[in-house]
Amino acid sequence: MTDTTGENPVQARCIGDTAIIYASDYLNKLSGERIERECKRQLDLGCRALVINFRDTELVNSIGVSILMGVIDASEKNHAQVIFSDVNGHTANLFEMLGLTRHVSVAKDETEALSLIAPQTNTAGSTGS
Amino acid sequence: MTHQRILATVSRDEFLGRDAELQEIVRQTYPLADRQGLVVLAAPGAGAAELLRQAYDQLFVRRGDPVPIHFAFKRSDEPPADIARRFFQNLLQQYVAYRRVDPSLCNRSLSFHELTELALPGDYELVSEFIEGFERERAGGDAADFVRFCLNAPHRLAAAGRRVFHLIDCTQLATPSKDESMLAHEIAAAISRSHSPFAMAGLRRRMVDLIHGPNDGHDAGDIIRLERLSDDDARRLIEVSARRYQIETNEPTRDLIVQQLNASPFFIHGLIQAARESKTPLTSFLDCQRIYVDELMGGYIHRHFSRILDAAAPNPQTRKSLLRVLFESASSDTHKSSLWAWKKRLGVDAAEFERIVDGLHVNELVNSTAASVEVNVDLYVWMDYLRAHYRVEVAGEARALVVASALLETLKRAPQAMARKYRREAALGLRDLIPDFNCQRVPASLFHYDRFAEVHKGEDRDTIDSALDAEADLIRLPQIVHAAGCSAYSNLIQCDGERCAVAHGFEAADYTDENEVVWLAAEIDSKLEASRELTTEWCDRLASLARELSFQRVRLWLVAPEGFSPEACEVLNKREAYGSSRQQVELLTARIRATAKEAEEGRPNEYEMVIPMGMDTELIAAHTVEQIARRVNFGPAAINQIKTALIEACINATEHSLSPDRKIYQRFRVENDKLVITVASRGVVPASLAGRNGQQVDAKDQKEDGRSRRGWGLKLIQTLMDEVEFERVDDGTQLRMTKYIR
Repeated sequence: MTDTTGENPVQARCIGDTAIIYASDYLNKLSGERIERECKRQLDLGCRALVINFRDTELVNSIGVSILMGVIDASEKNHAQVIFSDVNGHTANLFEMLGLTRHVSVAKDETEALSLIAPQTNTAGSTGS
Repeated sequence: MTHQRILATVSRDEFLGRDAELQEIVRQTYPLADRQGLVVLAAPGAGAAELLRQAYDQLFVRRGDPVPIHFAFKRSDEPPADIARRFFQNLLQQYVAYRRVDPSLCNRSLSFHELTELALPGDYELVSEFIEGFERERAGGDAADFVRFCLNAPHRLAAAGRRVFHLIDCTQLATPSKDESMLAHEIAAAISRSHSPFAMAGLRRRMVDLIHGPNDGHDAGDIIRLERLSDDDARRLIEVSARRYQIETNEPTRDLIVQQLNASPFFIHGLIQAARESKTPLTSFLDCQRIYVDELMGGYIHRHFSRILDAAAPNPQTRKSLLRVLFESASSDTHKSSLWAWKKRLGVDAAEFERIVDGLHVNELVNSTAASVEVNVDLYVWMDYLRAHYRVEVAGEARALVVASALLETLKRAPQAMARKYRREAALGLRDLIPDFNCQRVPASLFHYDRFAEVHKGEDRDTIDSALDAEADLIRLPQIVHAAGCSAYSNLIQCDGERCAVAHGFEAADYTDENEVVWLAAEIDSKLEASRELTTEWCDRLASLARELSFQRVRLWLVAPEGFSPEACEVLNKREAYGSSRQQVELLTARIRATAKEAEEGRPNEYEMVIPMGMDTELIAAHTVEQIARRVNFGPAAINQIKTALIEACINATEHSLSPDRKIYQRFRVENDKLVITVASRGVVPASLAGRNGQQVDAKDQKEDGRSRRGWGLKLIQTLMDEVEFERVDDGTQLRMTKYIR
């Protein structure tokens, strides 16, 4: 757990220079901003890829999605890759409708997400959670 | 069922058409009644005085708490002290009568000594105290104190723990003196102070002044509007009364009497009485009109109108001038004259002129405004009286000649009066239908005869209904805020009010200049499909009316029984006018009224919910709608779509409305094949939606670029739901979202 600034910290872990961030059950403005902050922090630490895991996410709203766009923008500027994993069918459809999938890859699960990351950034070894 | 008559002048069985009003008054006595007062605003001759008397009798026989007390102002100019004394004695006498269960005491002339003797032992002390106080005040010689003492009787009775229900009849105070007005107001205020329940009745154009007094005082309470009897009730009344007096009648004569006397119970009783006195059966139009003309010249009808005119203009010369001005105004095209012209013709001072016009206005013989006086020419009986008495009293014609010509005229008119009634009954009632539009969406083919005929001609009703249900092309009707017959606006079109209507409203209930619209609707006569010529003529007439009245945006709607010929449809389409057959209007009426009825009765499959804005409360709404959607077998994917759309609607309301109460109002309505969700909030209209009231929200209007950070809400909603419609409501906005069950 790397973000301890908020009341409900975002779960995240790093594998090499890839950060895996876990979205909460409801992706709204508040939880979106927490993800955004954690992602930016990871990018500042030198992460070359971000995997956002939506395994717990049941509902998303448009504000939360718009914040994800900010994350994608920030990642592009840092030449980092963004991959969404464990997205349920309904949420995947929403991302599709809103055009997010034009800018990110969507993986079935974390393993697939990690496999999609360009080889130079996928160095083995966990830095813990 | 038999009812004891105490104050009532007709038996309960003959008091027809007023059951609801009677029950409403009786309900006012229940301990848990919400309001203290009930005000009956009555049309002239509608029977308000009898309504209070019937209520008194019913309450007396019911033997419950409180004790009913009836008081009626008289027509004569009674001095204030006499009115106050009568009020006091009335109260005490009816109280004793009720407590002794002796209704005969109500109508007897009793001295105070007799009243004390008749009081029950438990009331003896109270009654004695009241009378002693009364004698003391009277002996004191101060008139104001005496009146005050009498009017305070309800308060003292209440203070002594006696619960009383007052029935105050002000129907005779059409032209009250200043003292009478003041006393009526004082009585209402005194009863109000005693916290006793009460019902007050009077002429609708007078009551507001009487209750509120000169200082626009207390809240009067609930209101009952007593209109004219329905034709059916009036017919029954004639039948029952005539049977009682063994006067033979038949259906045509009963219908004629109802039309001619405007269904007035007062005039009907007068006519039946006259028939009884002259032992004349009412089995032919000639019999009826003979009795009627006798009534006009010297019977109940004559006395009624003469009394009003005498009260308005006691001076014979002024009365003569008044008859002349009334008759000449009534005979003019517009039936009205300027106030200035009236005053000049009458030759009276300002105060008297005001009193005359007020008396006529309150009795609804004229309608006066600040600029003009218009004679009410819709009442046959008033016009017949005016014509006959003008000819005798002003023109100096021989009475026999006037009687003869009145009889001839009324006989000639009878078939026309009946034809008018038949036409009215057969009319589709556009004037009553249009106000029910209420922004409903209806199949467009119901307003385009050519389209309707092409698809549905020859089909049975069920088939047509099913096809209309499936019709995709819908017209959104406006919200009509006022509708009246065209004759109320202009003499340009001569037809019955029911057959031609002028209706003002707003498209999509959006109260802006751009959305203001006037519907001009007319039912036209044509045995076959209306021809091009007839259709053009009616379009021109309605367009002229619109021009004359300076209506900016109009919608013409013609209804012809059998529809319109192809050439006539071309005319309608060219002028962007609507055209419907009778069948189309019937189908339309069924649809509109079904929705209105449903709204009135409440829907069994409707849920309402109010949530505060913020704090993720949209999740509560989402979980609720999930439960509802599950109950009607939506699939998991559809449920998720509905939940997300609802969340977006809630967020939209929170973000954009500047809501003063910070609440979101939601309604979930389950219909056969769909779930309709309405999300409303108070506050300002979101800029993105301003000017799009009532329009379908279109995803294409939203930004397509996935990188745009915000403003995705409406796009999402539109994509997730099958129909999305934005509406401006009185103080905010609402979004209606529909999802079909597939």
